[in-house]
Amino acid sequence: MAGILKFQILILIAVTSLTSAALAQSEPARYRLDAGLDVSYIDASGHPSWLEGSAGKLRYDSDNDGLLLSRGFVDYGYRLADTLTMSINAEIYLEDFSSTLDLTEAYLEWRPIPRSANRYQLKVGAFYPRISLENSDYGWSSPYTLSSSAINTWVGEELRAYGAEFAVSRRPEALGGAHKFSLHASMFYNNDTAGGLIAWKGWSLHDRQSRLGDEVPLPPIPMIQPGMWFDAQDPFITPILEIDDTYGYYIDAEWSINKRFLLRATHYDNRTDPLGYKDGQFAWYTEFDQLGVKATLPGDIGLIAQWMDGYTVWGRLTDGIHAVDVGFESQFVLLTRSFDRHRISARYDHFEISEQDQIPLDENSENGHAWTVSYRYSISENLTLAAEWLEITSNRPAWAYFELAEKKTEQQLQLTLRMFFSRH
Amino acid sequence: MNYWPMRQQAVYQIGQLIAAFMMTLIAPVFAATLEISIVDANNEPVPNVAVYVTQTGATIASSPGPIVMDQRDIRFEPHILVIQKGTAVEFPNSDVIAHHVYSFSKPNDFVLPLYKGNPHEPVLFEHEGIVTLGCNIHDHMLGYIVVVDTDIFGSTDEAGTLSVVIDDNSGAATVSIWSPRIRDKELTQVVAATSKSVAFSLKEKLRPAHDPDTEAMLWPEY
Repeated sequence: MAGILKFQILILIAVTSLTSAALAQSEPARYRLDAGLDVSYIDASGHPSWLEGSAGKLRYDSDNDGLLLSRGFVDYGYRLADTLTMSINAEIYLEDFSSTLDLTEAYLEWRPIPRSANRYQLKVGAFYPRISLENSDYGWSSPYTLSSSAINTWVGEELRAYGAEFAVSRRPEALGGAHKFSLHASMFYNNDTAGGLIAWKGWSLHDRQSRLGDEVPLPPIPMIQPGMWFDAQDPFITPILEIDDTYGYYIDAEWSINKRFLLRATHYDNRTDPLGYKDGQFAWYTEFDQLGVKATLPGDIGLIAQWMDGYTVWGRLTDGIHAVDVGFESQFVLLTRSFDRHRISARYDHFEISEQDQIPLDENSENGHAWTVSYRYSISENLTLAAEWLEITSNRPAWAYFELAEKKTEQQLQLTLRMFFSRH
Repeated sequence: MNYWPMRQQAVYQIGQLIAAFMMTLIAPVFAATLEISIVDANNEPVPNVAVYVTQTGATIASSPGPIVMDQRDIRFEPHILVIQKGTAVEFPNSDVIAHHVYSFSKPNDFVLPLYKGNPHEPVLFEHEGIVTLGCNIHDHMLGYIVVVDTDIFGSTDEAGTLSVVIDDNSGAATVSIWSPRIRDKELTQVVAATSKSVAFSLKEKLRPAHDPDTEAMLWPEY
C-alpha cells in the first residue's frame, strides 16, 4: 500500500530531523520542520464509515477496531527572507484516495515589518480559509481534541483556497495596545465542488483532512448510480477543483483583546456556477456566514464557540429551487482547561441540514448533536498521549437507502500516542 | 579621526566614579525615601506600573550598562522595562524558535533581524518616550520600554508600591506613572522633596492585564 510506504518515509524524515537537531546552533535555521506520527487504538461502534464507502459519520467503524497508524503529518517552513516564508503541510493516511503528494497546504507568506500600528500581510498559494478557531497547532491539528468539530471537520474535508489573502490589522495605541482589529480578504479558485459532501454525506466529526488531489468517496446514494438522474457524477468528490473559471472570495473581520478574547465574523462565497460540470464532478454554489468566539472564562477555563449558517446548491433552477438545494447549520461550544502537562477538553456540537428540493430518492436532510470529551498528557517534548470519547447522535433519513437505521448514536473511543519531531 | 568620543567616554567614566564616590558621602545626609503606591478604582493595588521621579535642581547620575529585555515562552520578559535615557538594552532570545523584534515607536524605532540566542548589539535608547515592542513572527508578543530622563525610576511590586530615594535637599519632586492598562489622564503628582509618600488612586477601570501565565498555557501559540 502506498500509504504504508509514505509512513515509512515520514519516520525516516523524523529520525533525520532528530539527528540534525543534535547539531543545531544558535543561528536560526533556514527551515523549520514539525512532524508527527499518530498510533491509535480504536474502539468504534456506529454505521459503517463514509470513508469505507458507506455513510457513517465517524472516521472509523468496527472494522478498524484495534491498533492502527491513524495519521502522519509534516509541517515544513522555509525562510526565503526574514519577512518571507514558504509553508508546506502534508498529511499521510492509510486511506490514500489517489493523492500523490499528500499536500494539504502550500503557500508563501509575506509579513513586512510594521512601520506604524498598522500591519499588512499577504499570503499566496493553496491554504485553509480562516474559519477554524480550533486547529491552531502544527499540521492544522487541534491542541484540544483529536477529532475536529462538525464545522471544522467540514472545512478540512472540502474547503481550500487557491489564491491570495490580504490582511490589514491595527493595534491602536490609544487603547493600550491590547486591542487588535483586523480584516482579511481572499480571492481564490479551485473550490467549486465545496458543498457536495455536506449535501450528500452530511456533517461528520473526525481528524482527516482532504489533500490537494484527493478523490474522497461519496456515499453510494441512489441518484448517482448508473442510469439515475445524477449518474454523470463520479462516485467520489474531488474537493479541490476549478470548474467554471470564476473566482470565489471570503472576507472576515476580527477583534481581539490580547489572548483573552477574540471575535471573528466571516463570509464565504465560492461564486460557483451551479450548472457547472467537469470530468465527472458537479459544481456546487456554496455560501455561508460564520461567527467565532474565543474567550478566557473565570477559573482559567478556555471557551471556543463557532456558528455557521449557509447553503449549497447544484443543478437547474425550477421555481426558485435548484435540483439539489440544501441549507446547512452547525454550532459548537468547546471548554478547555490546562493543568501543567495535562489538558481536559469537552465539546458539544449541534448540526442540521434542511432540504428545499423535492427530488425523489435524494433525501439529504439531517439533524443531530455530538459530545466529545478529551484528555491529553504531554509526556515529553516528543510524546503526547491523547484519549478521546466521541458520541454522535443523528437522524438522517438517507441512511435508509443503505439499509441503515435512520436514527443512530455512533460512538468512538480513540487512544493516541503522538510521536512528535521538531527542528527549528 | 575619532578620538574625541573615546576621550569623552574616558572623562565620562571618571566623572561617573567621582559622582558615585560623592554620592556615598552625600547620600546619608540628603537622601530620603519616597514611597509611591498605586491603587485602582476598586482600591486594589496595581503592580507592574512604570514610575519615575524628576526633581528640579537634582543632579542626574549617568545611565548604567546594558539592561536585558528577554524573550521567553513567546513573551517579552519583563513586559514593561523602565530605563534611563541613554541606556543600551540587550534583546536575547531564550526560546528555541526564532524571533524578529521591532519597534515602530519613533524616534526610538529599530528592527533586529530574525535571530536565536543573542547575536545582536545592544540597542541604545537616546530619546524619552514609550517604546512599543513587537515580534514580526508572533503577533501576540507585546512589550514596552519606558525611556525616562531621570535616574529615579522603577516599577510597582505586587503590593502596588515602589520606594525610591530622592534628594530632600533639592526642589519639588514630580512623580509620574505609566502602564498600558491605565486609562486615567492624570498620571503626575508634584510633591515636596521632604514628602515620605505619594499615593495614586486611579479612577478609571483598568484594561485587562497582558497575557498572564495561565493564558499563555491555555492558548498555545506556535
